[in-house]
Amino acid sequence: MKIEVDYKRCEGHGLCEDQAPDVFELDDEGDLIYQFEGQDVPAEHQTAAARGAAACPVAALRVVQ
Amino acid sequence: MTTTETAPTYSGDIYTDAALLEPYEDYRALRELSPAVWLEKHGAYAVARYDEARAVLMDSDTFRSANGIALNEPANEAILGCTLASDGELHAHLRQVVAHRLTPRALRPMKDLVRERADELVAELVERKSFDAVADLARALPLSIVPDFIGWPQEGREHLLRWAGANFDSFGPMNERAQRAMPQCGEMAAFGAEVVRTGNVLPGSLGAGVLEARDKGEVTTEQTMMLMLDYLAPSLDTTISAVGSAIWLFSQHPDQWDLLREDPSLIPNAVNEIVRIESPIRAFGRLANVDTEIGGVPVPAGSRVLVIYASANRDERKFERPDEFDVTRRDAVHQLGFGLGDHGCAGQGLARMETESLLHALAQRVTRFHVGETERALNNLIRAFGTVQVTVDTED
Repeated sequence: MKIEVDYKRCEGHGLCEDQAPDVFELDDEGDLIYQFEGQDVPAEHQTAAARGAAACPVAALRVVQ
Repeated sequence: MTTTETAPTYSGDIYTDAALLEPYEDYRALRELSPAVWLEKHGAYAVARYDEARAVLMDSDTFRSANGIALNEPANEAILGCTLASDGELHAHLRQVVAHRLTPRALRPMKDLVRERADELVAELVERKSFDAVADLARALPLSIVPDFIGWPQEGREHLLRWAGANFDSFGPMNERAQRAMPQCGEMAAFGAEVVRTGNVLPGSLGAGVLEARDKGEVTTEQTMMLMLDYLAPSLDTTISAVGSAIWLFSQHPDQWDLLREDPSLIPNAVNEIVRIESPIRAFGRLANVDTEIGGVPVPAGSRVLVIYASANRDERKFERPDEFDVTRRDAVHQLGFGLGDHGCAGQGLARMETESLLHALAQRVTRFHVGETERALNNLIRAFGTVQVTVDTED
């Protein structure tokens, strides 16, 4: 499982971070840091990552298999 | 997916006073019928289930906002070209001019101010013991934050709530409420045009940013007028609705208030749950751009589609115990009350900040809410209380 992040679309609402703090993080500027950029999401983080992606209010996160 | 099924027809008017007061049985009936139901009285396909509502919101190429938001043509014509009622590149451009000032990122410096204002307001009301949770609490905070933030001149502020309410009434079917609203929408537009003409906005505000964008040639004068109103009209009634509903919900569910007081980290989730179960915005429309289908039901090009957020948010196919208020609900964050995707509410960062700050301040002081007289404020689009008289208990 991979997650595609549309950084142009991200407005920094941080709802993904609330759901999956080990996967998504907003830095001090409020910019999104995605831990597994360009990689497969490790199995132990997949449930949380999918939940975080589904929480994005502007649909900037997309789960791709 | 087969598209042989045709949409069943629903003959009820879902905008009568009675239907607006108790909408949830109509919504349940619509969900039961089909993923898309033809609303005979309103000339639109209702999308009342969660999955299909989400799919329509996410497919903004097929389901357009220009000429699509309201259930009547005069209102759609009046708002054509504002961010809410535009599509594609134009929409992305207009949204970019303002939305970057509204992102949680940009709002970080506001957080302390909003917290402070909420604290002061709640301290004063708790001292009084009895107050109107709508007039004194829900309206007071946004009115002390939003007009300054947008940079709206002092004169004319007394009309803001009336204008914003009229704006939302005009988006319904052309019933009496919408007819009464149209002239007031005109007043608001004229005032907005005057603000742009005279440049009478507070320095450093969102409004000042919009005028700068015009001076740099990024937007036309006409677009500037639209942008002045785009974020003002929706930023008051929606938050006011959520806060009024919150107090009423917690008065009816003291166990949920105890949970929140014990663990204030639940507050952001509680805000999602409030918006889920009492969605401030009932529904927004779209216009099908091409022949398409919704959950297998064919929808011809040119059809009006009504995405009923307040129904999707109580869809038993998506949410367990959908009519139960539960601040610990794991998937409350999936609620569609702020919309989603391209047109997802740009001001939700501020709305969440205001509502969360008030709940934080109340949770520190109030042990119980006792509700007295309540009255609904009927509006075609917004579900809200007009009055919630409340008496609070405190620890000491």
